[in-house]
Amino acid sequence: MVTPLTFVGDEKALMQALAAGHPGAAAVFYDSHASHVQRTLRSVLGPDEDIPDMLQEVFIRALDRITELREVERVRAWLTSIAIFVARAHIRQRTRRRWLWQFSPERISPKMIDQPATEVRQALREVYALLDEMPVNERMAFVSRFIEGMTLLDGAVACSTSLATFKRRLSRSEKRFLSGAAKRPSLAHWLEDGTRWTQQKQI
Amino acid sequence: MDPTKTDLNSVGGSIAMALQAETHASAEIRVARGSFLDAVASRSPAAVHPARRFPLRLAFAGTLVVAGGLGVFIWMKAPISFEVGVARTKGRLGDVVEPQGADPEPLHFSEGSKIQVAPHGRLRVLAASSKGARVLVERGDVDVDIAHADKRTKRWNFEAGPFEVRVTGTRFHLFFEPQSQSLHLAMREGQVVVTAPCLEVPRVLSAGGRLDLSCQPAEPINSAMMETAVEARRTESIGLPGPAKARWKDFLGMGRMAEALRAADQAGLEGVCQVATAKELLQLGDAARLGHRGIKAAMILRILRQRFPRSDEAATAAFALGRIAFEDRRSYGEAAGYFSTYLLEEPQGPLMGDALGRLMESRQKAGDFPAARAEAEKYARRFPTGPYADLARVILSR
Repeated sequence: MVTPLTFVGDEKALMQALAAGHPGAAAVFYDSHASHVQRTLRSVLGPDEDIPDMLQEVFIRALDRITELREVERVRAWLTSIAIFVARAHIRQRTRRRWLWQFSPERISPKMIDQPATEVRQALREVYALLDEMPVNERMAFVSRFIEGMTLLDGAVACSTSLATFKRRLSRSEKRFLSGAAKRPSLAHWLEDGTRWTQQKQI
Repeated sequence: MDPTKTDLNSVGGSIAMALQAETHASAEIRVARGSFLDAVASRSPAAVHPARRFPLRLAFAGTLVVAGGLGVFIWMKAPISFEVGVARTKGRLGDVVEPQGADPEPLHFSEGSKIQVAPHGRLRVLAASSKGARVLVERGDVDVDIAHADKRTKRWNFEAGPFEVRVTGTRFHLFFEPQSQSLHLAMREGQVVVTAPCLEVPRVLSAGGRLDLSCQPAEPINSAMMETAVEARRTESIGLPGPAKARWKDFLGMGRMAEALRAADQAGLEGVCQVATAKELLQLGDAARLGHRGIKAAMILRILRQRFPRSDEAATAAFALGRIAFEDRRSYGEAAGYFSTYLLEEPQGPLMGDALGRLMESRQKAGDFPAARAEAEKYARRFPTGPYADLARVILSR
């Protein structure tokens, strides 16, 4: 008879146990970082019913590559970059499906979780509809910098790109976001009334 | 700074806050947890990435022709794998292997080595490399047959209580009795080196040799036995039936938390809480918390803090109590109190970053904005890119 072993130990021991394939360690690893990864996926995709699948995918990829993690204290940043990679693949897949299934629009729209529409939820939908119109790499740059609040350097690392490329993408995404938001009155009403940005949009 | 950028930061903060206010997070995490752990349990390339199986195979087939030699090299460097039982099911590191019934349980390793666990014996393969494996013999009789190879390329270790048996190519019989901490070794072929804290020098044992060792101190009752006796008396005094007691402990040992909690319930949870160790209480508390039995979890964790004050587990229990107050009861003031307690008791503890972030969030949700701001300043200074950094920025921007 074979039964799983429970893992007990600190973060460093946890990484070693994961690398050694310790089954109990996977649960501890997941419980420690799932909320962070889930938050990152949500920031990138908005409310989306595929998030549980991607959450699982991120952790499976992390387990597969655990030996590549050199600094234990950077585990969250490392997981963020995997989450962004997985979310990007998901968006690209969705875009391909959208193209293939263009005659069945109800089948290709992002699977937003349907809830009673409050003003905030409506605005969130608008924000993510706007982000859906952006090229995926620019979207990643925008989300990393402004929604996840990363520094430029951390954002570049998370998006697996150079700082210069990240800055270029960010700059383009800002312009796209501002121009898109200006065409959506519900966003203007919700997002920080009276800021210079909204004033700029109203001009 | 470009004012547009400042405003976009503020917009991003608002979006992050709106996302946080959505209520699916814990459900999503729970759903994915089950699937993830199932995938880990039945871990194989096909189980993990079913959708990619076909294209991966195509790509791999092309590469194989060119990289055959390289593949053999990698295979030689890959960790050895093993199979358990007569049915030869794939073995996993860390799993307990013990025979059920009168037949021994065999383990077959990919490089040709074999281990046979006799009835009532119990072992785990803790680690494997291309050169060998590390095996923990928890109790009982084990027959070992390590495939011959160059001594420099073989590294097999057997651990049994305080003893360590280092092996190259050899065959031997090992028996370990955990209560008396005694080891019996009978060599058939080759040579092993035995080390233990109670041995002044390592003992070398060659073919035909036998060795009987015990690291048990001379005192009639050692501290572990005393502890067991005390526990047995306590168990008896609160009327806990023996088998039930053993069951919740066994389930905990096997990592089957929900079943452990159920067995503890059947045995009388309050009584169990009086005899369980700090670590066991923490595990039971977590099992209750993850099973959404917040009241039960809080009771277990409070007993832990009463019985084991100033322990690491007590501090971790404070953190868990904070989570229960925050997530289950939305009692943000109480949650803040527990997170503060954790930070006070474990200022450099492994949950420090999370505790600080959660404390800040609890203060904010409790409406204590000056305190939330003070915590946000601390958090932003210590973890400028941490998971709560965006929330800290939002709080500080007000």
